[in-house]
Amino acid sequence: MDMWTVLEYAAWALSALFALLMLSDMVRIDTTYDNDLLTSSREGEIEAAAERHTL
Amino acid sequence: MVDTKTASGQPERLQLLRVLGPAHIWALGVGIVLVGEYMGWNFAVGKGGMIAGLIACWVAGLLYTCVAMIDSEVTSTVAAAGGQYAQAKHIVGPLMAFNVGLFLVMAYTMLEAANAITIGFLLDTVAGMQGHTGLHQQPFIVLCVMFLAWLNYRGVLATLTFNLVITAIAFMAIIALFLSVQFGVSSVPLDFSAVTTDPMPYGWIGILASLHFGLWYYLGIEGTCQAAEEVRSPARSLPYGTMAGIMTLLIAATMTWYVCSGLIPWEYLGQAGTPLFDAARVTGNRGLMVLLFIGTMFSTLASANGCINDASRAWFSMGRDRYLPIWFGAVHPVYRTPYRSIIFLVPIALIFALGAPLDQVVTFSILSGLLGYTFMTFNMVMFRRKWPLDTIKRGYVHPMHPLPTIVLLILCATAYVAVFLGYGTQLIAMVSFYIIASLWFHFRRYRYVRRGDQFTMPWPRPEGY
Amino acid sequence: MAYKPPKQSFAGQIFDVITLLVLTVGALYLPLYLGLAGAAKTPAPIANPTWEALGQNATEQQQWAALGITDPAAANDIITARFDYSFSWVALVVMAILVIGYFVLVVRLSDREYRDVIAERFGAKKK
Repeated sequence: MDMWTVLEYAAWALSALFALLMLSDMVRIDTTYDNDLLTSSREGEIEAAAERHTL
Repeated sequence: MVDTKTASGQPERLQLLRVLGPAHIWALGVGIVLVGEYMGWNFAVGKGGMIAGLIACWVAGLLYTCVAMIDSEVTSTVAAAGGQYAQAKHIVGPLMAFNVGLFLVMAYTMLEAANAITIGFLLDTVAGMQGHTGLHQQPFIVLCVMFLAWLNYRGVLATLTFNLVITAIAFMAIIALFLSVQFGVSSVPLDFSAVTTDPMPYGWIGILASLHFGLWYYLGIEGTCQAAEEVRSPARSLPYGTMAGIMTLLIAATMTWYVCSGLIPWEYLGQAGTPLFDAARVTGNRGLMVLLFIGTMFSTLASANGCINDASRAWFSMGRDRYLPIWFGAVHPVYRTPYRSIIFLVPIALIFALGAPLDQVVTFSILSGLLGYTFMTFNMVMFRRKWPLDTIKRGYVHPMHPLPTIVLLILCATAYVAVFLGYGTQLIAMVSFYIIASLWFHFRRYRYVRRGDQFTMPWPRPEGY
Repeated sequence: MAYKPPKQSFAGQIFDVITLLVLTVGALYLPLYLGLAGAAKTPAPIANPTWEALGQNATEQQQWAALGITDPAAANDIITARFDYSFSWVALVVMAILVIGYFVLVVRLSDREYRDVIAERFGAKKK
């Protein structure tokens, strides 16, 4: 088993790790917070406060 | 920082974070595109010969300068995540916005897949040079996508700062290669004899056809406006970052053509997987080889990284407006990223990265981009007509309107013909896809969308409506 | 009177996403499976290839060697491969109609929807 074969396995392991980190965090967030809060973002809200498009 | 928790008992709202500066915009724009110099552009040489490669480089550069000018004006005024999607929603209408949103997601997800394929291919080449045959590319492709998705998931500032660093290194690598070759580091001299002996192997039609992959030098520079909701002062940073980006790319593209065409026989160049790295191999200089290997890795990573950022912003915006299920419109309460969209797009990128050949994926991406540029032309005309210059304040007004629009439209038409030469089936399949998706949206999906809420800019009523 | 959209069930949301996915994957893979994805170059290898016969000068031969190809026979296919750009004008016209028709369709339907949006946001049209 040379270096490249080791790297292949390492890559699989790291991929699984990152996937797991993301998925577990998503599950944790989705069960901790209310969905209405999570989807409360609205387009242009900061815009309305910060920049008035008037001459 | 900008929490929009209002004092007077308003419900708390989660928003994306406004933390980015102009340098991040440059990094996002150039980061996505610079990979085009490290791979893909050279298929233009394959489609039309060496001269065609250079002409395509400059004609496409003109096209993208128009794109950058038009985009800067509109996006410095419509500053919302989703970029051109939000522009279309305010200026043309909901169905157009849905289509533009799909263009963006497709173009970036396909580009991301192409990047992952390139990383696998490059590692295979290097492993081959070290005597290891039959490297499995899949784990590296998957790792690349997973790692960058995770980075994006964790927050935009770290993501784009990472992009800034690796993009800068990849750009320096091109300059270093150019300078070293100029000062005679290469053991093999530059040779441009094919320019005179075999200038146009396909005649003029080859020059037309090569424009197809000429777009690849710059494809994605318009992605800068996806960050509009996360930039500290969009009206200033977006035009600045975008314009600086297109200038960087014009320089890099010309140097790349020069070095690669001089060092690599055009027949080989036209089908090479990693042309700049190959050019470094031809010089026989180990230091340059390592540098360009790093440059290729970094530019592909930067590009895939920016693509995940942009595609997820576009997908998120469509979810937020219920063009797609509202579930995607979620913001992570801690990292403030569109986390569900980021995760959802991972398997899609993998389907294409692991299953389709590179040139097909690239063509799919280019076509979606091209449809988007065509949209920009009439979008610009309608923008000036519905809100003339004296009705709303623009962050940037581009000069010589409507000249850039006309030039852009002509070049887009030419590019369609270029894609048609050789990839006509793809073109027809894609347009059919968008027609079916449009009908689906208009007759089924649109009933879940709130009508008046879609128009979020504090502008006066458009003229003529 | 503002339009009140129905609330979509979770199953409905999943169904809509799957519809889009099937469309997307179909659009890319259908041409591939049908073998219609064009643009393969066809090599026209010459007999008894030498570097000179393949039109490669001394410098270019050095470059090929640096890329790991020292035998002209191995480069034969790469050098002689060419695209076929013959095309039918009918197909070109069909493509043009398809692309233009697509944009006309989208802009017209968008405009219809856009009028609703503007009417709801700014109130009925002032005469």
